[in-house]
Amino acid sequence: MAYFGNNPQRGELQELYADLNDLNFEKKKEAVKKVIAYMTVGKDVSDLFQSVIKCLEFNDIEMKKLIYLYIVNYSRQKPDDAIMVIQNFRKDVRKSENPLVRALAIRTFGCLRVPKLNEYLIEPLKDCIQDDDPYVRKTAVLCVPKVYEVSPEICPPLLDILQKLLEKESNALVLANLIQSMREIEVVSGKQIINLNQKIIQKLLLAVDECIEWGQIFILDYLATYNPQDSKQAEVIIERTLPRLSHINPTVTFCAVKVILKYLDFLDNGELVKNLCKKVAPSLISLLSWNQPEVQYTILRNISLILQKFPILFENDVKVFFCSFNEPYYIKYEKLDIMVRICDSKNFAQVLNELLIYLNEADPHFVRKTIKSIGKIAITYDKALDKAVSILAEFAKNIQSPTEPAQELLIQMQLIYKKSKQMYKHEDSLKIIYSIIDYANEPESKSACAWIVGEFGEFIPKSVEKMKEYIDNFQMEDRLVQLQLLTSAVQLYLKYPSQCSVLIQQLIVSAKDSFNPDVRDRTYIYWRLLSTDPEIVKNLVCFNSGTFSNFSKDLRLWETQDLVLALENMGSISNLFHKLPHQLYKNIKIKVNNQQEVKIYKGEEKPEAQVKEQQDENQQNIQKEQQQDIDLLNFDDPPANNNKNNNSNKTDVFELI
Amino acid sequence: MISSIVFINHKGEILIYRVYKDDITRSETTQFCAKIVATKENKECPIINIDGTSFIHITIKDIVVLATTKVNVNVAMTLQFLYQLVKVCRAYFGGEFDENCIKKHFVLIYEILDEVMDYGVPQIADADLLKKYIQEGGLKPELMNDVEKLKQLTSQATGATSWRPPNLVYRKNEVYLDVIESVNVLMSVKGTILKADVAGSIQVKCLLSGMPECKFGMNDKLLMQREPRKPGQTTTDKGITIDDLKFHQCVKLPKFDKERAITFIPPDGQFELMTYRITENINLPFKIMPVYNELGKNKLEIRVKIKSIFEKNLFATNLAIKIPVPKNTANVNTNSAIGKAKHEPDQQGVIWRIKKYPGDFEALLRCEIDLGQTTNQQPWIKPPISMEFQVPMFTASGLRVRFLRIYEKAGYKPTKWIRYITKAGEYLHRL
Repeated sequence: MAYFGNNPQRGELQELYADLNDLNFEKKKEAVKKVIAYMTVGKDVSDLFQSVIKCLEFNDIEMKKLIYLYIVNYSRQKPDDAIMVIQNFRKDVRKSENPLVRALAIRTFGCLRVPKLNEYLIEPLKDCIQDDDPYVRKTAVLCVPKVYEVSPEICPPLLDILQKLLEKESNALVLANLIQSMREIEVVSGKQIINLNQKIIQKLLLAVDECIEWGQIFILDYLATYNPQDSKQAEVIIERTLPRLSHINPTVTFCAVKVILKYLDFLDNGELVKNLCKKVAPSLISLLSWNQPEVQYTILRNISLILQKFPILFENDVKVFFCSFNEPYYIKYEKLDIMVRICDSKNFAQVLNELLIYLNEADPHFVRKTIKSIGKIAITYDKALDKAVSILAEFAKNIQSPTEPAQELLIQMQLIYKKSKQMYKHEDSLKIIYSIIDYANEPESKSACAWIVGEFGEFIPKSVEKMKEYIDNFQMEDRLVQLQLLTSAVQLYLKYPSQCSVLIQQLIVSAKDSFNPDVRDRTYIYWRLLSTDPEIVKNLVCFNSGTFSNFSKDLRLWETQDLVLALENMGSISNLFHKLPHQLYKNIKIKVNNQQEVKIYKGEEKPEAQVKEQQDENQQNIQKEQQQDIDLLNFDDPPANNNKNNNSNKTDVFELI
Repeated sequence: MISSIVFINHKGEILIYRVYKDDITRSETTQFCAKIVATKENKECPIINIDGTSFIHITIKDIVVLATTKVNVNVAMTLQFLYQLVKVCRAYFGGEFDENCIKKHFVLIYEILDEVMDYGVPQIADADLLKKYIQEGGLKPELMNDVEKLKQLTSQATGATSWRPPNLVYRKNEVYLDVIESVNVLMSVKGTILKADVAGSIQVKCLLSGMPECKFGMNDKLLMQREPRKPGQTTTDKGITIDDLKFHQCVKLPKFDKERAITFIPPDGQFELMTYRITENINLPFKIMPVYNELGKNKLEIRVKIKSIFEKNLFATNLAIKIPVPKNTANVNTNSAIGKAKHEPDQQGVIWRIKKYPGDFEALLRCEIDLGQTTNQQPWIKPPISMEFQVPMFTASGLRVRFLRIYEKAGYKPTKWIRYITKAGEYLHRL
């Protein structure tokens, strides 16, 4: 069989040339196959163009398809030779009684993509769009965007025909292709091509019932971008979309979910909204256990969006996001992320119990992320603190080397202590953490350790010796660690003035000439203050845990005003990267959200007032966030400088010095 | 939409390369092959963006099936399409899908690719339907010249019941139903159930003449509540709660949505009528009770008791219980009354196999594990105990088929067969 072999030897092209021109049909056919095989591996066989197209004279459909494939590949390199095939196409389109041949010809004709050939295409294409056979029509309809992309100037008459067809076409599959084709043109031209009216919407809804799964997706995807005129219309569309929730193709179901969720905003009837949510939730949950991990992944990536706008859908269902032992890690990471977002003051214990198990996983990155998640939950929910600290302390007991999880553990413990200093007593956590303090080897974790030594100096045996150890290596440390060491050392000095005076001097000597202006400035400020009024320093460096307000309870990923637009694009690439389309694709216009208020769908327990309050709070947060460019995807704490907005002066100075 | 479809082998070599749109160059694809496929870096994640091009891909054994695009496509649909494409290829190649058969049938694959996608937009991709007009070695000339037959074909392909050809004739009309349930369960160390669900599927093999209309009924609680009670009749079966159902495209979904009735005109031959998910009142067929002891520095003991919880007259078959052991296991002594247990180092576990296991029965396995010397100081991370089994004539969800009614103009009475089986899905008990 004519596949690949090696690269064509010298003379192979000549051999092929001879075979293509051979009188024997079988030989010709084998030669054509060989040509295609070379094309596949990336070898240039364009020189054979004329010989290959000569083979078109045989009425063999398999060979015809191969030759067409060849022509499409090379037509732009050989526009003059391609003209010779035009007659063949026109003959096939006009004369052939075989609908498959007509469709094949028009499909390939459109792919030539040579501007000067397109004018020959217009007339046959018009015929095909109005062909009796739906198979030819569905192919011809898709041919229009192909022509439009290359020669938009000759297309207006075609667009008119398409719009007319939209009104009178009765075949569901053709209609679905038609919608998709017109949308493609809209993307290329940036103009609105599809003019919807009540009647067309009715037809589209009917077509969803009848066409193949992809067609259903095209139509549903399109309906998701439409804004209904009133509550009644929204209700009708939702009602007709509901049955799709039971379709076996997960993408159809997912698109149906998208349409329904989008249209909920337009409904007046609150009771109906609640019922619809009850219907959507189980379908969505089934999708999460779909047996193709890649599909599952795309759905998981969209869950954060749904969670933010429709918390009601997953109210009691944190369990569905529990990881299975054998799942690929890219799924586990997503689930972990969602579990943190879905965690609330009621289910945190359940979530923490589950996270506890993940600490046994083999992948250190995953364990690290688990620890981070535990920390995040602890500082977000006061009630979760005890349990989280117990879990982390228990985990710390088994740490025997400077692993990645160890680094994260130190960082998270610092944050927990910052939030609630009293936690150091819980389960002897401070003692356990202090025992692994030497395993810190990342700037962030080291700085956390320095903070702990300074803050808890009086509870740690030999804290001054430890600090001396740090200061001996001061020059080698990262800037982040140096800054923290300065503050912590001063703190320790205030606790043990006599023992630390030599230490502080050593520190000032090594830090005052630092190349880093931040480190230098901080050194000088402490130095002067210490020599004038140590009391002020005390107020400055001794951390008062109540005032540390950098724990946002907000794990939102999307800007509230972006939710509506993001929802329309659910399932698309941009959503997968948690971006809006125009942020990822330069050629997409920014779509403005006209809705003043973005509705959030919550469960029932919360009284109205509280919801409103929270919304106000959200609004404020949004304003805050707009001023800074924070990567929302990364749920690291925002950079330290966002304390600018804090009201408390003390912490302000503390962080900024 | 999609710019190109590419098949790549594990070395990163291109096997099939079909371009649908001009906006992509071959070198962008080879870059992906070199960077991702050949190095296996980041390969797991199904979508990767490199310089404005999105590479959406799935991996089937050693073959990467890739779709590239430069626009904001529906990713779920693209992935689904790739899976469907592989399914179509398999249908043509007798279930195979590997480098050899791709190379052997590359002409046919190009033909398929030409048909299933046009300008990057997915088209008809139903294997049974495609086989009618795409065949290896070209179509028969009789068909090519028979305009009437061709018209019938295109109208079936684009029509509302594209999955069933008209005018089928069977001498003996038969329907086979298979209800297959897999039970997924995750039990904590203490034996509490953390997560349990049943993923069910109903497979149908349909050998029926003409255009039969079928109506299918199960003991679905929501449906049974709607049915009027016959006077004097008291049923104990109140039905079961089904969380969610998904149907084959032949099922009339609007009718299901309104009346919860499952009606359809079936495709010819084998198909999956529906899948369902159940989380309430699941009858777990097996209980696992492990005990883990460290007997010394280099000695462990794991005792596992299993108990079957189904009727005595039923049997489970092909049980395999996998008990994980540490990597540095040197020797394992096993002791059990039934079945065979063996340490299998490549699986890092003791596999306890039992061919046939009666209902309402308890069995115990005791493993004494001697550990070898190791330099690795890390404590052993214990994976869960997992279990495989099959229980014929049993459904973990309690689902029963109540009827399958078939209406056809000819009025024949088909023979109907039904089987139930419950299998283990992810049946796990944390240790």
